Amino acid sequence: MDSLSVYARLAWAQARGQMQYRASFLLGLAGVFSTTFVELLAVLILFRTFGQLAGWQAGEVALLYGIVAVAFGLSEMAGDGFEDISSLIRTGQFDRVLTRPVPPFVQIMASQFPLKRLGRIAQGVFALALAQRWLGLDWTPGRALVLLSAIFSTAVVFVGIFVIGAALCFWTVERTEAQNVFTYGGTELASYPVHIYNPWLRGVFLYVVPLALTTYYPALYLLRKPDPLGLPGWLQLTSPLVALAFFAAGLLAWRAGLNHYQSTGS
Amino acid sequence: MRLYLETMRVSFRRYRAYRAANIAGLITNGFFGVVRSYVFLALYRERKVAAGYDLLDALTYVWVTQSLIMPVLMWGWLEIANTIRTGDIASDLSKPFSYFGYWLSRDLGRTVYHVLYRTVPTVFLGWVLFRIQIPERASTWLLFALSLLLAVVLGFCIRFLINLCGFWTTEVRGINGLALVALNFLTGFIVPLAFFPPSVREAVELLPFAGMISIPLNIWLERATGLEAFGLLLQQALWVAVFVLLCQVVLGAATKKLVVQGG
Repeated sequence: MDSLSVYARLAWAQARGQMQYRASFLLGLAGVFSTTFVELLAVLILFRTFGQLAGWQAGEVALLYGIVAVAFGLSEMAGDGFEDISSLIRTGQFDRVLTRPVPPFVQIMASQFPLKRLGRIAQGVFALALAQRWLGLDWTPGRALVLLSAIFSTAVVFVGIFVIGAALCFWTVERTEAQNVFTYGGTELASYPVHIYNPWLRGVFLYVVPLALTTYYPALYLLRKPDPLGLPGWLQLTSPLVALAFFAAGLLAWRAGLNHYQSTGS
Repeated sequence: MRLYLETMRVSFRRYRAYRAANIAGLITNGFFGVVRSYVFLALYRERKVAAGYDLLDALTYVWVTQSLIMPVLMWGWLEIANTIRTGDIASDLSKPFSYFGYWLSRDLGRTVYHVLYRTVPTVFLGWVLFRIQIPERASTWLLFALSLLLAVVLGFCIRFLINLCGFWTTEVRGINGLALVALNFLTGFIVPLAFFPPSVREAVELLPFAGMISIPLNIWLERATGLEAFGLLLQQALWVAVFVLLCQVVLGAATKKLVVQGG
């Protein structure tokens, strides 16, 4: 609990700091919103021409897209600090992190809290609103919970990817750029129904980096669609557990990395 | 002239030193290529042709555009803006060469590297995985090479102008973020301009951004051949001329404004 309150205070200080530079903040926000918004626009342009995607309507893909966009935006706000760890290790500044009486994990996580990512979240909310408008989904507390848990589970998986990427830096020093495949690439992949991909690609995102489990299955449930992959029905609701398991794996990697860490000594 | 060629050569070699970074970028470009290919494979299950594109055209579009990210779009390139921030620009400006020419040759050196080590492998990957369309006619290759060169110079000019904003504001990063909208969307990178609603499409195709991705792509796909292709090249060349001129004007205004703090 103590770590949590330290995190909240540090992140809040970060946020307030960014608000001091109002023009910079607004410009960043507008930039993130518009660059992600045109991606949504591109999807809609394709639907204007094709009408459907492997049995999914525009509104249905918008729901999936919105879940992924909101979740990734949240994870970028929470996990951006892990993206910078390579330079901390290289310059030796990570030693200073180790001397402070707060767990390094909390310090790194709180070192960044980029408010401009709200732009991506706003764009995702817009996609969800479009989905609601076009599909007229009915909402019960239970179904709302499924939507929220899908969003948070997906965000947790994305943060887990950031943590694993950061943990690898304890061995490689340089950031492993290939993690972009799972963060940005994962966002792109999970924005469309996964039954369109070939089995091995789908397998990686179902069982290794479980983004498809935390997005596609809750979406199937909310849309009352049958599962074309024929996986067991209870799987549709396991996404929070799977996400936590993936995050736990990230924490283990982080711990192993910390134990392996040796200062660059510069 | 020798100076600029030498600048190009050094820049080329500088990039060649970062082989691991290029391989990682190649994997990312390739991954996006695979995902976007599957999206089009799914879309074309129900129909053969859409907006004049058949499945093969769409797959080729995916891989050719993925391969052109580094040579033409080069997101987030703020090298000049950084020299403005640090003050290094003062020494660059006092050197006895054209400032614009210096950065253009640096960028062309980089482009040669990225065409060889990013564009070619990405297209090859697309051909191996999805059998994308590779032009057979020599004339197409010639036209494409010219069109690509113009696209690269156009892309450079736009990035040069974005960077020069650094003379007036410290918010270059934010401006660059906004410019990405034009660079990604109006170029026809994230979705081909052919799929745009007709009235919008006609306007967008005349904008300079079409010359960065859409025109070279249409030449590759042989959707524009012969006289029509020449017309497109001419359109690109006109925009290049306008933008080179614009770069000179803005650079002139910027350097007049420059005050260097001593020390």
